[in-house]
Amino acid sequence: MKKTQTDLLQGTLDLLALKTLQAEPAHGWDIAQRIQQISQDVLRVGQGSLYPALRRLEAHGWIASEWGASENNRKAKYYKLTAAGRKQLTTETQTWRRFTGAVKLILKTS
Amino acid sequence: MLNKLRLRLRSLFFKPKMEDELQAELQFHLEREIEENIVRGMTPEDARSAAIRSFGGVERVKEESRDVRGVRLLEEIWQDLRYGARMLVKQPGFTSIAVITLALGIGATSVIFSFVNGILLRPLPYRDSDRLVLLDENAPKRGIASMGVSYPDFLDWRDQNRVFTGVAAYEGGVDYTLNGSSEPEELSCSWVSYNAFEILGVAPILGRTFTAEEERWNNGTVVILSYGLWARRFDAKPDVIGRTIAFNKRSHTVIGVMPPGFKFPAVADLWVPMPPVVGERTDHGWSVIARLKPGVSFEQAQSDMTAVARHIEEQNPVTNEGLGVKLIPLREGLAGDYRKALLILMGVVGLVLLIACVNVANLLLARASARAKEIAIRTALGAGRWRVFRQLLTESVVLGVMGGALGLMLAFWGLDLLLAAIPIDLPFWMKFDLDGRVLGFTAGVTLLTALIFGAAPALQASKVDLNEALKEGGRGGAGAARHRTLRSLVVAEVALSLVLLIGAGLMMRSFMRLQHTSSGLNPENLLTLSLNAPVVKYDAMEKFYAFYKELLERIRAMPGVDAAGAASNLPLRGGSWEDSLTVEGYPALSVGQAPTINFNVITPNYFRAMGIPLLIGRDFNDADTGDSMKVTIIDERLAREYWPNESPIGKRVRFSPPDDKESWCTIVGVVGAVKNESLNLTHRKTVYRPNAQYPLDDMSLAIRARNPESLAPAIQRQVKAMDPDLPIINMLTMTEVVSRSVWQPRLYAILFSVFAAVALALASVGLYGVMAYSVSERSREIGIRVALGAQRRDVLKLVVMQGMTLTLIGIGIGLAAALALTQLMRSLLFEVSVTDPLTFAGLAAMLSVVALLACWIPARRATRVDPMIALRCE
Repeated sequence: MKKTQTDLLQGTLDLLALKTLQAEPAHGWDIAQRIQQISQDVLRVGQGSLYPALRRLEAHGWIASEWGASENNRKAKYYKLTAAGRKQLTTETQTWRRFTGAVKLILKTS
Repeated sequence: MLNKLRLRLRSLFFKPKMEDELQAELQFHLEREIEENIVRGMTPEDARSAAIRSFGGVERVKEESRDVRGVRLLEEIWQDLRYGARMLVKQPGFTSIAVITLALGIGATSVIFSFVNGILLRPLPYRDSDRLVLLDENAPKRGIASMGVSYPDFLDWRDQNRVFTGVAAYEGGVDYTLNGSSEPEELSCSWVSYNAFEILGVAPILGRTFTAEEERWNNGTVVILSYGLWARRFDAKPDVIGRTIAFNKRSHTVIGVMPPGFKFPAVADLWVPMPPVVGERTDHGWSVIARLKPGVSFEQAQSDMTAVARHIEEQNPVTNEGLGVKLIPLREGLAGDYRKALLILMGVVGLVLLIACVNVANLLLARASARAKEIAIRTALGAGRWRVFRQLLTESVVLGVMGGALGLMLAFWGLDLLLAAIPIDLPFWMKFDLDGRVLGFTAGVTLLTALIFGAAPALQASKVDLNEALKEGGRGGAGAARHRTLRSLVVAEVALSLVLLIGAGLMMRSFMRLQHTSSGLNPENLLTLSLNAPVVKYDAMEKFYAFYKELLERIRAMPGVDAAGAASNLPLRGGSWEDSLTVEGYPALSVGQAPTINFNVITPNYFRAMGIPLLIGRDFNDADTGDSMKVTIIDERLAREYWPNESPIGKRVRFSPPDDKESWCTIVGVVGAVKNESLNLTHRKTVYRPNAQYPLDDMSLAIRARNPESLAPAIQRQVKAMDPDLPIINMLTMTEVVSRSVWQPRLYAILFSVFAAVALALASVGLYGVMAYSVSERSREIGIRVALGAQRRDVLKLVVMQGMTLTLIGIGIGLAAALALTQLMRSLLFEVSVTDPLTFAGLAAMLSVVALLACWIPARRATRVDPMIALRCE
């Protein structure tokens, strides 16, 4: 089966990044990899959008960053979810569910 | 929110650190990607290039990540400012032309605005001055818009109105002599109603103002001093209150001192109550000011006062038939004729500024094509369009600010120059300086101009097509759009400058007409001066007559004097005296309806001294005395009106008050008509009476001499010998008097011409620049044409035609615009039609010639294009 890759909708990346960070802190590369893996390579995050998105989330105060050592002991910037970020994740998840639910309904009926 | 702010601040202050972090983070990502690729089995080289490919441009990611930090804007503006300044310094030629152009426009605008500010905007120095109104009487049915107020009418207004908190009558500019100390000093006094100061809302700094009981002065009267007089003559000592001081040889008790800077009406050194003689209902001449009650609108007040005037008219049908009241807001009354001229001048400098903007926009556009490559490279390196636009606009702002600063310096200098050109004493409330409002205005104008001249070129330049620009390489090709913009700017410039030229042309022609209009007298070799004989010393009327008779005899005896005479009102020196006329044999009309004439009291020899021709009959002479037959001399216009086919000699006329007890006066002579009030008004018909039969205290002397200026000290000595306490007022030659009387039209004509000359210079430089640019752009095309056999003439024609087409379109638009706009100038012009065909055609032709020259020079350069070089250098 040939997999199709889907470009991320504007705004979804924020949600995905937050979700990825829910479990544990991660650095940029990790986040991109995880999104790709969990979505079974359907979603692919361009670095060009990932880092600006991380800056944006940080500016909102939803994530915080600190420098740490990576798995192979190199200096890497780790991001973690803040309390505000958790709240935001819940809100955005709900919004997303409502949205996709609505889309599903429309697709079913017509 | 707090987070965001912290991040921004951190970004701003720790910029290098943040940059490093970003760099490190992205580097890390890239390396992880490479490692992963190697794990997948790629060679290190492939792994690296695949990683970089997937990464999608490190710099762009960095740029976009920075964007989010929000301070990028600030950083970039700073960066742009530095870059802009560097670019401007690198091109001193371009920069200085642009800055000077802008400075001319901004400087001119600031100077004229400081006049607008001084006359129309600055708050007047009275409390709540927008609640103050001036009241005047008019007679709309007879076409008289303003006639001054009679004192009894004023008293009725004061009693009967329901809309004012107070009403006061006043007269300013009364000559007063301060005696007692060493030198007699001529002062300007105002007669005011007791409550005038209360209405103006200004309290004395010392003492008190007048009380209702002091409304009219009598023998021992009271006086209020201005701060200036108090400081100058009384050493600013508070004990001046209660002191007795002699003015006009009459003792006055000082009761108050007004605050510094306070004057009323226009100029005043001191204030006294109303004089004993204030006139009848037919003596119009008082000024009246009033303060609106709170909550009463201007319109309500006008309609209430109209009702009051109706009532007065019913009570006094003979004197007040058809008389109305007109209310004028104080500001409007004070600004008077200046308002219109100022607004027009403001429009004129606005146009000059616009032309300057267009010119700089032209320069920028032409330069933008030279910079197309630079901009293309910037774009290729990742600068967004908005970013390039902003960069270019910042450069414009830097340019604008430099122009504004230089313009402000020009304004300082121009303002001084302009003030020096105003020969009259300005009313105290007019202050022209570069105050906060003017500076704010200049700053605003500067930024606005930077946007106007910068936006279009920046928009054009930022639209650069990457492929095209880079492909064309050094050629720096300009798109069709830029050419279109350039061409329309040139058309606009030509049109705007033609409008200004025509405006200036009309003003100039009007002024020349005015100068060549005959005043009816011979102003050459004529010295004039005024005297004010104090009432007390010369208490009997006959003494005035004797005083002037002897003084004139002494002057006539002086060497070099050809003739000397005196009159109550010398033409063009300001001040005239009106009266109504009754001609024997015509029905006697009520005072309001009788024709008004100019009334002048003169001594024998006045006509000879002034160079006014005696047409028929005789001059007054010493045989005309108080006891002999009452005589008068009329001017030719009056003679023509009543006696078109016969000699008026021997006919009799009568004048209403102040001469109404008087019997008929017999006409003994007819003289040429003289322009009394001003050169540009149709003069009122004039009658003359001898001072032997009508002695006056204030008279002005006219002395015809071969060398009038050199006579001045001798005359001064002569007056002093007659009366050491008598100051001489305004000793001027008549040519000076005439030239002063037309200072306004002259100043407007000069200003208009200067602005139009600047506009013309800017427009021709603009046209030249565009044509030269176009020729250099088309050198390849021209080279090909020449290679294919085009003659010099053909090339010349090609270029000139192109430029002249633009010019002619501009001239067409300019003529149409001028036709519409010069309508606004109608009231400023004298004997010149606002659509004067000669001015329109002449200046359009002149502009064409200048434009032709501006095209000719680049066109000649085009003919020298060597086809070999032109083609090879591509």
